[in-house]
Amino acid sequence: MTDWWKIIIFVYLTPIHMSSKTHLDQHCETIMREYRDNLSWFKESSRKVYGLLQENLDKAGLVTAALEYRVKSEESLTGKLELKGGKYHSLKDITDIIGLRVITFYIDDVDKVASAVERIFEVDWENSVDKRKALEIDSFGYLSLHYVCRIPDSEYRMEIQMRTVLQHAWANMNHDTGYKSGVEVPPRYLRNLSRLAGILELVDDEFSKIRSELTNYRRQVKALVASGNLKDVPLDGDTFRNYLDLNPFNSLNNRIASVNQAEIQEVSLMPYLALFKGLGCETLGDIADMIREYSEGAFQIATFQIGLTDLDIVSSSIGPQNLCLAYLLKQGSGKAGIKFMFDTLNGKSDSNDMIAEMIMEQAKDLPFMNQ
Amino acid sequence: MEVTITQQENNTVLVQFDGRLDTPSSQEVSQRLTPVEESASGTIILDCEKLSYISSSGLRVFLTLRKAAAMKGGKIIVRNINDNIRSVFMMTGFLNLFEIE
Repeated sequence: MTDWWKIIIFVYLTPIHMSSKTHLDQHCETIMREYRDNLSWFKESSRKVYGLLQENLDKAGLVTAALEYRVKSEESLTGKLELKGGKYHSLKDITDIIGLRVITFYIDDVDKVASAVERIFEVDWENSVDKRKALEIDSFGYLSLHYVCRIPDSEYRMEIQMRTVLQHAWANMNHDTGYKSGVEVPPRYLRNLSRLAGILELVDDEFSKIRSELTNYRRQVKALVASGNLKDVPLDGDTFRNYLDLNPFNSLNNRIASVNQAEIQEVSLMPYLALFKGLGCETLGDIADMIREYSEGAFQIATFQIGLTDLDIVSSSIGPQNLCLAYLLKQGSGKAGIKFMFDTLNGKSDSNDMIAEMIMEQAKDLPFMNQ
Repeated sequence: MEVTITQQENNTVLVQFDGRLDTPSSQEVSQRLTPVEESASGTIILDCEKLSYISSSGLRVFLTLRKAAAMKGGKIIVRNINDNIRSVFMMTGFLNLFEIE
C-alpha cells in the first residue's frame, strides 16, 4: 500500500483563530462553565469511546486508514456559542464536544463501520445525518456519514464521522478553499471543486469494484484448485498459496524422510513460486506434471545425499528442492541451471557455484539420469 | 566445543562456534544459547568460521534460534560456513531458511 493517503489525512484543518475578545452572554457563560467543570471527564470519556470503537472495528476485521478523536477546544466552543449560543439550552445540547472520525479505504466499508457503531453505541437518529443522501442527483459535494451517539452512561452526546480517504481529502480541500474559509470564492472555483467531488466519487466506486473483483477471483481460484482443474489455474501468488494448502509435496517429502526416518520441519514454500515461474511453469498443472514426472529423480537425489549420512531432520522444502534439481538435471541445464536455482531461492552468491558443482558431480551416478 | 557469546552494538549478538556441533555437544550449546533465544529481538550472527562439523542435533540448535528470532521479530545471519556444512544445509533443505553470508 502506498502512503499517499497518509499525506492526505494529515492535511489537517488550520484552526480558525478566534478573537481573544469574546462577547458571550450570561447564558453562554453558564454553558462554558459546565464545559470547564467537565473537561477532564470529556477527555477521559473520549479515550474510552475511542478504545471501544477501535476494539470493535478490529474484531469486525475492518481495516481503517485512520481513527481519530478529539475533545472540542475552549476556543472552538466559544466560537460556536458566539455564533449560535441561543440555540442551546445547556451543554447537553451540543453534540460534538467529543468528536470521532473513522476514515476508511473503501466506500463500502463506511456502512460496515456504521453498523459497528450502531452495535456499540446508542445512536440519536434524529440528529444523525447521512450527507451522502442529502445531495441532489445532479450535484456533487460533501459525502460523509455523521452519527450522533450517546456517550455511554451519561446524558452527553458525541459525534462520529465516517468517510473514505478520498471523501476526507475533498472535505479538507473544500474547507480550505470553499465557503467556510471566509473568503469570497469565485463561482468557477466552486464549480471545479464540485467537478472534483464527482471524480472522487467515481474513483471510490472503482476502488471498491476492484476489491470485490479480486475477492471473486480468489474465490474462483480456490474452487478451481479444489476441483483439480489445475491446468486452468494460472500460477501466481494467490493460486500457489491455495495449491500449497492441498499439500502437493507431502507424499514426496514423506518418501524422502523415510530414507533416514527423518523428522520433517515445516517451512514456508512460498519462495518456490519464483523458482517454478523461472523454470517456465505457467499453471498449477505444470507443477503437478513436474511432481508426476520427476518425483523418482527427486527421491534418488535424496537417497544419494542423505542416505549416506545420519541426518534425521529435513525441511518440508526438500521435496520441491529436489524436484527442481531433478528437472534441471534431466533437462540438461547443467551447472548454470542449478546455480540459477539456488540464486533464485537464496539470493545470488558465489557459494551457490560450489553447491552446483557438487550436485553435477553427484548426478553422474544417479540412475534416473541414465534412463 | 567452544561457544563465545558477545553482545555488540545495535542489538546484535555474535555467537562464535569452535569445534564440532554434534549430539553430545548440542545439549550444552543449547543451554548456553538460552539467554540469546530469550532476547532474540535483534540480529544474531552465528559465526561458523571454526565450526568443523554439524549434526542433526546441531541443525536443531540453529532452528530453535531461528524460531525464537522469528517470534520476536529478530533475524539470524549465518556467517563463514565451510563447504561441508553448507552441503548439510542444502541436503536437508534448510539452505534458504537462513541468511548465509
